[in-house]
Amino acid sequence: MLQETLTLLFQLLIFPGAAFLILLAFISEWVDRKVVARIQSRFGPLYTGPSGVLQPIADFLKLLSKEDITPDGVEKPIFTISPIIYFSLSLTALFLIPILSETALVNFEGDLIFLIFISTLITITVFLAGYSSASSFSIIGSIRSALQMLGYEIPLSLAFIGPALAAGTLSLSGIVKWQISHGIWTVFLQPLGFGVILICFLAELEFVPFDIPEAETEIVAGWRTEFSGRKLALLKLGRDLELLLASALTTSLYLGGAQPVSFVPPALTFLIKIFFVVFLFSLFRALFARFRIDQMISGMWKHLIPLAILQILLIILNVGR
Amino acid sequence: MGYGSIVKVPFGPQHPALKEPENFTFEIDGDIIVNVKPRIGYNHRGIEKAMEARTYIQNIYLAERICGICSDAHTTCYCQAIEELLNVEVPSRAKYIRTVIAELERIHSHSLWVGIAAHEIGFDTLFMHLWRDRETVMDILEFVSGNRVHYAMNTIGGVRRDITDEMIPKINSGLNFLEKKIKHYINTISNEPTILKRTVNVGVLKPKDAVELCAVGPTLRASGVKNDVRKDDPYAAYDEVPFNVITNDGCDVFARIIVRCEEMLESIRIIRYALEHMPSGMTRVRVPLVVPPGESVSRVEAPRGELIHYAKSNGTSKPERYKVRSPTLANIPALCKMLMGQHVADIPIVLAGIDPCFACMDRVAIIDLKTGEKKVFNFEVFRRHIQKCYRKH
Repeated sequence: MLQETLTLLFQLLIFPGAAFLILLAFISEWVDRKVVARIQSRFGPLYTGPSGVLQPIADFLKLLSKEDITPDGVEKPIFTISPIIYFSLSLTALFLIPILSETALVNFEGDLIFLIFISTLITITVFLAGYSSASSFSIIGSIRSALQMLGYEIPLSLAFIGPALAAGTLSLSGIVKWQISHGIWTVFLQPLGFGVILICFLAELEFVPFDIPEAETEIVAGWRTEFSGRKLALLKLGRDLELLLASALTTSLYLGGAQPVSFVPPALTFLIKIFFVVFLFSLFRALFARFRIDQMISGMWKHLIPLAILQILLIILNVGR
Repeated sequence: MGYGSIVKVPFGPQHPALKEPENFTFEIDGDIIVNVKPRIGYNHRGIEKAMEARTYIQNIYLAERICGICSDAHTTCYCQAIEELLNVEVPSRAKYIRTVIAELERIHSHSLWVGIAAHEIGFDTLFMHLWRDRETVMDILEFVSGNRVHYAMNTIGGVRRDITDEMIPKINSGLNFLEKKIKHYINTISNEPTILKRTVNVGVLKPKDAVELCAVGPTLRASGVKNDVRKDDPYAAYDEVPFNVITNDGCDVFARIIVRCEEMLESIRIIRYALEHMPSGMTRVRVPLVVPPGESVSRVEAPRGELIHYAKSNGTSKPERYKVRSPTLANIPALCKMLMGQHVADIPIVLAGIDPCFACMDRVAIIDLKTGEKKVFNFEVFRRHIQKCYRKH
């Protein structure tokens, strides 16, 4: 009994739980920064650790030690709690993702719905964080992020549902199991859905061309403008976890997830895949200019939603099951 | 940001899109700008006054430091004004060297600007790549003049350094590389959908408005008006070098990008021609330190547009009055016109579209914050006013 409890605690807190996930989040930020830097013909992080791999951790620790300023006129309770919620939402969602084997740490029938719910909740937290800051830049940023959500939420949910329809289960672990037992990745069956999910996650992560809520040259740091010190550190960590969550979800839904390949353990294939997805995100981030909010929303409704619906129709018509 | 009501949004003086402090107050209806109120004068540096306290030779170095980007345009303009007062004819080799440096500077200024424009619309990759390739022209400038930013090439009566025949192959190989790269960037910019979405039909300035509001430089030429000091009132060796005045009928930010890119290609052609046809002879003539009394106005086509210097001499070794009209100031009314009816998200790129250099433009204006009225002081009254202010606090 005691040993079981201890094992569970170890799994939740250390491996593959919180500590491991946070470390992974930092590494994925490093991969992202490094890839973008190389595309832009820069070096990126270089000095902290081998090839600067410890740079995100150093940044985090440094921010923790910085002065934490709460400006006058902010909605104090929301302002204080929103970074914590933002960070913990992404972390919670990550527990539902199968990393070590095809079964996640926490899994139940219908956890896919829960994940959709969390991804919406993250945006609402962002909106609240910006709105409570009482700065005009933050308010514009948070309004933009809420508007942006109207654009990507529906295609994103549809892209979540595609693999679920194919696998006939609403559990993420179930979808991964289905892919492994059928020996095929969903991406080959539903390439449209894969494209849709990548674009929607770019919007959710606020990456170029959808970095409208934090457009530096327009509204400083957007909804994040007024945060500093520990709160900013948590927001940054939350953002890294969100990046990890997005790539882990894409991997699990479309790229076969934690899949054992002969002697390679599933965790390792999973890591390779998520870094590949992070690489894809970084690639897109470096290749475009920023859209304007009206262009983004009309583009999403005109092109992405029809594509997502077409994908669902194809699945219902038994194409690619 | 409620719809149906007009909201005032301050932009600057501290803002990431502005590299220098300047304030614009936008009246916004929903997401559309209905009125713009610029407030200039945050970055007064007193250079004109400082010039009156220094000799003509010292002032060359001061004029160079009016702007960090078009430093050569300012010294050319200054030296021309003083040469006119002295009634000195510059040797023609010096004129050709001035042309070469001016065009090299135009390439570096325009490529800097295109990078900034890419950054303003969030395309950092283009920004980084352009600035990497811009190093080539900076290296050429350093190779020719010994300096990357303040070249210190011009002096009253000519230029301080010669461009020897041994230098020419190296300059040419740099130019060939730049030409290839600039063509590549023009191709990229005209074919990248996200750039087109953010720049086409943004910040429109009709040719009629551009002329009426006295826009200058690439901003004016991007509205289809053929106007260039180099052609209209040739200085240096521009009357001997054949070149085209680049215009574009797009009237929007995209046209401004394309005009600047094509001007870079044109500059490369000018430099090649000037290097090939450079006459031999002296690079400078000696001039007296004391300037006879008189007034003169000198015009130069700086990378940002028409630059005007005015000098008044009273027969001593120091100017009595010196006045600089930088191109940014001339473009401010046109800028306000462009901003009308734009989306809030387009403010940075439209603002950047005129290639603003606020620090060159700003002169002091004393404004009473309580009443909002502008005052003009002479020095004595101003000193007493300051003392009174200090005593109050």
